[in-house]
Amino acid sequence: MLLSSLFSRSFNYLTEDMQVYTGPWTKAEAAHLLRRTTFGATNQQLLAAVSNGMNATVSSILQIPFGDQPLAYDAGETIVPQGSTWVNAVYPANQTQNQQTENARFKSLGAWIAKNMNQEQLCIAEKMAFFWQNHFGVTASAESRAMYHFLNLLRQNSLGNLKQLIKDVTVHPAMLLFLNGSTNNVFSPNENYSRELLELFSIGKGIQIAAGDYSTYTETDVAAGAKILTGYTVTGIRSSTLTQATASFNPILHDNNSKTLSYHFNSQVVSAAGATEYANYIDVIFAQPQVAKYICAKLYRYFVNYDITPTIQTDVIDVLAQTFIANNYEILPVMQQLLTSDHFYDMSVRGAIIRNPLEMIMGALNPTQTIPNFGLVGDYQTYISIYYVADTMGQSYIVPPSVAGWTAYYQEPAYSKLWINSTYIKKRFDIVSALVYTGVPIGSNVLKMNLLGFLNGLSDPSNAPQVIDDICDVFFPKAISIADKLTLKLILTGGLPDFEWTIQYTDYSNDPTNTVVSNPVMQRMQALMNVILKMPQFQTI
Amino acid sequence: MKRRDFLKNASLASLSLPFVSNGFSMQAISKDLFDYSKNAEDRVLVLIRMNGGNDGLNMVFPIDQYANLMIQRPNILIPQNQLLNLTSDLALHPKMTGMQNMFNNGKLSIIQNVGYPEANRSHFRSMDIWTTGALDINQTSGWLGRYFDSTHPNFPADYPNANFPDPFAISMGSEVSSTCQGLMGNFSHAVNDPFNTSNLLLTSVTNDGTYYGSHIEYISTLINQTNEYGAAISSSASAGNSLSSMYNPSNPLAVQLKYIAQMISGGLKTKVYIVNVSGFDTHDSQVDQVNLAEGSHANLLEMISEAVAAFQNDLQMLGLDERVAGMTFSEFGRQIASNGSFGTDHGDAAPIMLFGNCVNTGIIGSNPSIDNQIDEQAGVPMQIDFRNVYASILRDWFEAPEASIQALFEQNITYLDILSGCSVGLAEQEAQKQKPLAFPNPTPTNTTLRFQAHGEQYQIFIMDQQGKAIAQTFDGYLSSGKQELAMETSKLPAGHYYFLITSTNTRELVAFQKI
Repeated sequence: MLLSSLFSRSFNYLTEDMQVYTGPWTKAEAAHLLRRTTFGATNQQLLAAVSNGMNATVSSILQIPFGDQPLAYDAGETIVPQGSTWVNAVYPANQTQNQQTENARFKSLGAWIAKNMNQEQLCIAEKMAFFWQNHFGVTASAESRAMYHFLNLLRQNSLGNLKQLIKDVTVHPAMLLFLNGSTNNVFSPNENYSRELLELFSIGKGIQIAAGDYSTYTETDVAAGAKILTGYTVTGIRSSTLTQATASFNPILHDNNSKTLSYHFNSQVVSAAGATEYANYIDVIFAQPQVAKYICAKLYRYFVNYDITPTIQTDVIDVLAQTFIANNYEILPVMQQLLTSDHFYDMSVRGAIIRNPLEMIMGALNPTQTIPNFGLVGDYQTYISIYYVADTMGQSYIVPPSVAGWTAYYQEPAYSKLWINSTYIKKRFDIVSALVYTGVPIGSNVLKMNLLGFLNGLSDPSNAPQVIDDICDVFFPKAISIADKLTLKLILTGGLPDFEWTIQYTDYSNDPTNTVVSNPVMQRMQALMNVILKMPQFQTI
Repeated sequence: MKRRDFLKNASLASLSLPFVSNGFSMQAISKDLFDYSKNAEDRVLVLIRMNGGNDGLNMVFPIDQYANLMIQRPNILIPQNQLLNLTSDLALHPKMTGMQNMFNNGKLSIIQNVGYPEANRSHFRSMDIWTTGALDINQTSGWLGRYFDSTHPNFPADYPNANFPDPFAISMGSEVSSTCQGLMGNFSHAVNDPFNTSNLLLTSVTNDGTYYGSHIEYISTLINQTNEYGAAISSSASAGNSLSSMYNPSNPLAVQLKYIAQMISGGLKTKVYIVNVSGFDTHDSQVDQVNLAEGSHANLLEMISEAVAAFQNDLQMLGLDERVAGMTFSEFGRQIASNGSFGTDHGDAAPIMLFGNCVNTGIIGSNPSIDNQIDEQAGVPMQIDFRNVYASILRDWFEAPEASIQALFEQNITYLDILSGCSVGLAEQEAQKQKPLAFPNPTPTNTTLRFQAHGEQYQIFIMDQQGKAIAQTFDGYLSSGKQELAMETSKLPAGHYYFLITSTNTRELVAFQKI
C-alpha cells in the first residue's frame, strides 16, 4: 500500500500539509521551530527569529558551521599536552597507560559533545548530529579517536548527501569495528553490518511477508550484502605509532563472485568491483524509493511527531520522500521543506515530543545562557559531568543502548514517553533543584543557573506579568492557562502586588552588584524556575 | 542598679533557709515545669506567614499610646471603643474576636515589637532575612532548614525512608518554603490539597486531546506515582479527622488549617507546616474610609483570627492541642504614620502571635512608645529580635540542645520562655487553667502575677535559679478568688526567676524571665 501510494502521485504534487506555511509568525511559531531544531534559544533569539521571519530563520538554522576538536584535559592523557587535541595523536605503548589515555580521551569526547550542545550557534547542527548518531547507533567500542572522526563525519554531513554519507559510514573504522565489518571476509562472511545496513540504515525492515522476506529485502540480500562488503580491515587501533585507525581494503579477503539480489531489488547482480563494490551496492539500494520514505519517516518522528497515520504517510512523508529523491538524497532540501511546511507548525504537533535528557538539561541551560567559564579543565569537567547526568537518565550519547538507537525513537506505542519513568523523573527534578538553588558542584567549581542574566535579558524584567509571559514562551510549547500564569507570577512576586516586584527589580538594576538588592531578586527567580522546570509542560518540545 | 545594691535594698536576709528546709527541691520543680509528658518528636509547629508587611499597630493596639496614634494615623485609627481589650493597656482589632477568646482562655500570646536591627524595608530582602533567620546576606539556607540539616545531614539522599516516611515540613500551596531550605535540599514539600497530592504539579495539567496533552498527562500521573511523600500525605489526610464546626469553608486559611489538622490527626509525622496569607502590603485602602474597622486589613485579620480559633478548637476536640503550637510572622510592620491613601507604608518591627495550649500566655514585651512627634517614615522600633524567638522555639518546642541551636544562628541567643507553658499530662490540663501566671512574661519592666487565692495571709518572693530568694514582693491578706498583683521586677537584672507564692496552705512557683 505504501509503495502504491508513492507511485500514484506525481513528483511535484504538494499536499496542503506540505505547502509553505503562511500563517502567523509570532514568538510561538519561532519558539516551536527553535525548540525542535536547537537545544534551546534565549528570549532575545526568539524575538530575533520573529523579526527575521520564517524563511530567513530556517535558512540560517540550516547552515552547519565547522566544529572544533575535543581537547586533552584529564591527567590520564599522556601523549598530547593539556589543551591540545588528541584526535590525530598516537596512544602510549604501555598497556596501562594506553588504557588510561583512552579513558581520558573518552571523557574528553563526552565533554566535547555536551559542550557543543551547550555552546551551539543557533543552528540545527547538534540536533542533526544526534539524529544520525541515533540512526547509526554506533558505540565507541574500540577507540575514541575513531569515534570522534565518526561523529565529526555525521555532524559535518548531517545535511549533506545521505547516499554518500552511508557509503562513508560503511567503510569508516568506527563502523567497521562496531559491526564486525573488519572481520567480514571471503573465508567467514559476517552478516552483522549487512543486515543493519538494510534493516536500520537505509531501506528499513518492513513486515515479514514470507519466510526470510521482510517486504523491503530478504535474507538473500543480507547474505549477498555481507559478501559484497568483504575485504575491509582496520589498522592502527590505539596504536603507539599510527595517528589514525585506518580502514583499508585487502583484495585477498574480498569475495570476488557476483552477488545476486532479491526481487525487491529487481534481482540485480552486483558484479565484483573490489574496493568500491560496496558503493555500487548502496547505489542499488538507494534506487528504491522506499529508502527515501524510510528515512523521511525517521526524520518526521525525530523533528515532528511519533504518530505516522496513513494521512501523514501520504500527505507528509511521501511528499518529503519525493523531494529527497528529486534531490538525489540531499538532506538539506528535505529539512528545508519540512521546517517551512504548514504541517510543521500545526497546533496538533506542538509539544508532541518529550525532551530527551540532553534536551531537558540543555533546555534549562541554553535559554538562560548558563555556560561554564571555569577554564579548560573546569569546563571539560563540568561538561563530562553533564554528559554523565544525561547518561543516568538514559541517554549516553556515545554508548547507545543498541545499534537501533534509543527506544524512544522507534518503540511503539510509547516512543518519547520512554524517556520518563519514576526514576528518571526524580533525576530530572533533582538536577533542576541543584542547578537552580545550590548549584552542581564539580570539582572546585559550581555550575549554577544564570538566573539574573536570564532575567535581565527578558523584554521587560521589571514587569512581573511580562517576565512570566516571556518565560512561558521560552520554556513551554503551548500557552498555559491564565490561572497557571497567575500562579507563576505570584511565585515570582512572592505573593505581593506587581509594583513591589518592579520596585525590587529597579533597586537591583540600579545597583546590580549589591547583594542586598540582588539576592532577593535571585531568590524569587530561583523559586520560579524551580517550579517552571519541574512542570510537565517543560518536559515536552 | 548593680545586683549587689539590689540585694542590699531588699530586706530578705534569711529567706533561702526556710525555703530549702521546707523540702522544696528547685530541680524537681523545675523539671516538673519544663519536662513534658509528650515527646518532643510528636510536636508540630505551624507557621503562618503574613505576606506583605503586617500593620501591627492596626492589629494589636497599645491603648496607652492611643492619643499619639490618633495624631500619627488619624485617617485609619479605629475608634477606641470598638477595640477588643486584652489587658488594661492593650487591645485587638475588632475583627479578631476568635483570638481575643483564645487570649482569655490562655491559648494566645503576643510578642510585641519583634524585628531585627537596621530593618530593611524591601519585602524581598526582609522576607529573606525572616526565612533564613539571619541578617547575613550570604546565608542561603532557612532557619528550619539548617535545624533539619543539623539532625539529618544527608538529606535529601535516601529520603523518604522507613524511619522518616513523611516530609519534614509541608508548605501549603504551590511553593516550597525558603524557611526549610537546607544545604542540599529543601525539607519542605508543597501541598495544595492533601487529598489530591499532585503536589509536584503546581499548575493545572489538562489533556487537551493532542499529543502534547497526552504527554503532560502521562508525566503528571507518573510524578504522582513517583511521589512517595504524596502518597503518605494523602493516606494520612484520609485517615485523619476534623471535628470542629467552627471552620468557615469560605475562609481559605481555615481550609488549609483544617487540612493540617487532618494530616496531623491522621498520623503524619511532619513537624512543621507553613501557610501563607498574602495581601498585607496595604499601601492604600487598608481601612474602609467610612468604617475604619472594615477594609482589606480587617478582612485579613478576621480571616486569620477566625481560622486559627477554629483550628485551635479542632485540635482540642481531637486531643491534639498539646502537640501543636503556632506562630505568625511577617517581613516587617508598617510605618507609624498613615499615608493619604488610607494605608500605611513599609515599616520596621511588629507584634507576632503565638498560639496553642503550651504558649506562655500573656503579653511579652512592652507597648511601643509612640511620640506625638515622630520622624518622617518612622517605624516601630525593634524590641525583641525575631532570631531569639526562633531559637526559643527550637529549644522549648523541639527540645534541641542549646549548643546546637547556637550553631544555627549568628547572634548570641537570648532565650525567651515562650513555649514552656505546658506540663501536659492530660490530667494536669484542668489544673493548668488554675495555674498561677505571670504576665507579661518575659518582661522588660514590671509584671503582673495572677493566681487563685483562698482567703488567707500570703507572702510572695522572687527566687533566682539557684532557689535563693532575692526579694519579697508581697506580704498581706488576700480574699478568695482570682487575684492580680502588680510585681516590681523592673530593677532585676535580666535572667530567669521564679515567683514563690506561699501561704499556710499554698506553695506555688511561677517561672518568669526578665529581659
